[in-house]
Amino acid sequence: MASYHAMMATMLDTSVEQTADEDRALALRAANGERAAFALLLERHYERVFRIALRWSGHRADAEDITQTVCIKLGAAIRSFRGEAKFTTWLYQLVLNASRDHLRTVRNTQQRDAAYAEHTELMQDDGGHGDDVSRALWAAVRQLPDKTRDAVLLVYGEDMSHAAAAAVLGCKEATLSWHIHDAKKRLAALLAPHGEVI
Amino acid sequence: MNLSDEQLKTLANSAPATPDAQRRRDNIEAALAAFDATPAAAEDTTQGLSRWQRLKSVFQQKRRMDMQEQKDFRGWLTPALATLLLVPVVGYVSWQSQRYDGSPRDVVTLAKPGETIGVRGTEYEAVDTSDAIALDDVVIAASPVAPAPVAELQAARAQAMEGRQRAEVARFESRAVAKMASGIAAADASFANENVVLWQPIGAEADRDRIQSTDSNPVKRVAEQPVSTFSIDVDTANYAFLRRQLNAGNLPAPDSVRIEELINYFPYAWPRPASAEQPFQATVNIMPAPWHNGRKLMHIAIQGYDIAPTTRPKANLVFLIDTSGSMNQTDKLPLLKNAFRLLLDTLQADDTVAIVTYAGNAGTALEPTRVADKRRILDVIDGLGAGGSTAGAAGIDQAYTLAERSFVEGGVNRVLLATDGDFNVGQTSDEDLKRIIENKRARGIYLSVFGFGQGNYNDQLMQVLAQNGNGTAAYIDTLSEAQKTLVQEAGSTLFPIANDVKIQVEFNPATVAEYRLIGYETRALAREDFNNDRVDAGDIGSGHSVTAIYELTPVGSGAVSVDELRYARAEPAAVPASDNEFNNEYAFVKIRYKRPGESTSNLITQPVTGGNELASLDAASTDQRFSIAVSAFGQKLRDEDAVHDYDWSAIQRLASGARGDDAFGYRAEFLRLATLAATLQSQNR
Repeated sequence: MASYHAMMATMLDTSVEQTADEDRALALRAANGERAAFALLLERHYERVFRIALRWSGHRADAEDITQTVCIKLGAAIRSFRGEAKFTTWLYQLVLNASRDHLRTVRNTQQRDAAYAEHTELMQDDGGHGDDVSRALWAAVRQLPDKTRDAVLLVYGEDMSHAAAAAVLGCKEATLSWHIHDAKKRLAALLAPHGEVI
Repeated sequence: MNLSDEQLKTLANSAPATPDAQRRRDNIEAALAAFDATPAAAEDTTQGLSRWQRLKSVFQQKRRMDMQEQKDFRGWLTPALATLLLVPVVGYVSWQSQRYDGSPRDVVTLAKPGETIGVRGTEYEAVDTSDAIALDDVVIAASPVAPAPVAELQAARAQAMEGRQRAEVARFESRAVAKMASGIAAADASFANENVVLWQPIGAEADRDRIQSTDSNPVKRVAEQPVSTFSIDVDTANYAFLRRQLNAGNLPAPDSVRIEELINYFPYAWPRPASAEQPFQATVNIMPAPWHNGRKLMHIAIQGYDIAPTTRPKANLVFLIDTSGSMNQTDKLPLLKNAFRLLLDTLQADDTVAIVTYAGNAGTALEPTRVADKRRILDVIDGLGAGGSTAGAAGIDQAYTLAERSFVEGGVNRVLLATDGDFNVGQTSDEDLKRIIENKRARGIYLSVFGFGQGNYNDQLMQVLAQNGNGTAAYIDTLSEAQKTLVQEAGSTLFPIANDVKIQVEFNPATVAEYRLIGYETRALAREDFNNDRVDAGDIGSGHSVTAIYELTPVGSGAVSVDELRYARAEPAAVPASDNEFNNEYAFVKIRYKRPGESTSNLITQPVTGGNELASLDAASTDQRFSIAVSAFGQKLRDEDAVHDYDWSAIQRLASGARGDDAFGYRAEFLRLATLAATLQSQNR
């Protein structure tokens, strides 16, 4: 898979750039009030938004809700897009924030039986159709602190470079790398069978 | 053991489920409805105004509205294109009000910029965000909603404000979003005149330790910026905090390391001033940089005069102790009690001590009491128990009141704040608190801050408080740290000998091509601030030492990292380098300070010449070499390019060869930490 990514990245290098340019152009046209440009932009990125929301939350229903929130916010926020950042960088920020807010709201309403909720979250995890290994890994990723989780999600889930992920999270590249390192350590601990010392 | 990269890459294997097709259509429709309901950005009337002007205009609008309100019941539905955003500890909350018929909009009922509310330990501050929409992690949505939610939101907000329920806020937010969504679905021309209020939290941080993070000082060309100005920093909190993290097996985030605090943590025996007439002595040396062949270091060491205990001024101390529930851990309140017992032993019979606690309500636990009556003071300290929430602002007020009541003219008047940093200042914002502290400082009452515990340590607020109160911020994690801060360094912590100490260095372009100040990022001053006595800077206490290190690239060394300018080069030098009378000088160091209680500053100057240069690092003193090793350690943790090729073992060799007598074992501990950091960083690769 890794080499697949590398290969695709090389092959698609020009078209990736081209896509980014198109996105930017569309976003700027949308910001100027062009409805069709905005509709097209949404069509292009809807799956991406849903994918991140699903990976973040681990629940279909939550992911649908988050996606809805993002769509509505996007409708208003696109008006202020001025092209200072890549459109996707901007979109990722929006989705991550919406996911975080959504989950916090959910957690608050479930505060009473937090332990139960955590248990069922693990049991009913439907964060994707991948193999068991990646499924267990995603479940563990969702237990990481927010920043760490965002870093993993962007770098490994979305195959972004450390620099690009750092731009989304608004931190230095070194800090992002540190989060990734932190994640590797935490994940190893989370995935270790109970009682085993690693 | 860490997970490998390969293992993590399997994360991409899970192809997520496809979104529901019906929801997809609905959502895109909702997005388009929101799009239609939002005016284009180009119509933003606030464009081109500075943030301040915009804030001002909001206030003006408010004033106009207040008058209107009396006549018009609908006054609060009035205009303004301002968005107010609440910035809390753990996220942001924003709300916005907007109308679409061009009629005035409300600001009054929402919040003024700078206004804050505390919700269960979380501070929210209203700020103006009308230009911050694009890239902040803030996105504001606005669209027509039925009028009912407005009243509901107002009520919920009011409830959340006095009430202490974070959950309340969350429910309120979710309701707001839900109402909004349904409002959009029903979007209709008939709603076009209705008001919208949106309040939402954005961008939460899971890690509740708030450490101020900063970018490193860049390399500067002497030809372009020959002058470097900064305030001294005698804080040491960062070292203790970092030690705690390393001991727990965690590398600190690179941005959070403050190198000057690491260097200044260690006691050094720099040459001392002869008398109190001259409060401190500066020693400057140039020596080769161990981590780069062509570069040199300029090492500035400042040693404060040590006031003999008998000539110490009388002290009036008020302990402000956080006894909230969060302090009830062995490394917090119990440690704090022991720490203050130690401090008590260093005071003299005539000094007075008072104790104010804050937990829920602030209370005076002990009226100002002479240290001669030590038993009574100890009894009160022993009786302190933790419980309840934190009401820091009230506590600070009370502490200052007591300090004023027993004010000692010409003595040391100081509030010592001890907290785990979950410092809820209630209705007061960090800014307001800063102002109160500055105000009291002007009247001669200083503030020192002692941080305890880990988990929700608010480093940034502590820094701000101490910096504005002419005090130190120290982080106490063990009793031996308490011993160091409160007993060995009690003199320097409590008795200032020079206030507002600023350093300005002018480099000579004939000899120095580039320079970089290592650390002091949070202490940078503008060039003109140096001579402005109204600009506050750090203080030096009795016996304090302060060290600053510059990395220099000499002219012609071939180690220059910034290219020459193509066009500026044509400018002829005023004096050819060979005839320049200063061509033996590297730099000119100027230090400004005020004597305690004085408002005009004194100036000390010193040229740095070839005579200050040491041929090799080995010729430098033990303390100089050790402080350089600490600076390399800090740069390594900050992941700075300069030390990339300088490895940990070299740092350890340099430090272990410069241990000196190390009476308290601080340097031995540093060596252990360097080993730990090296191991942790190698796992990171």
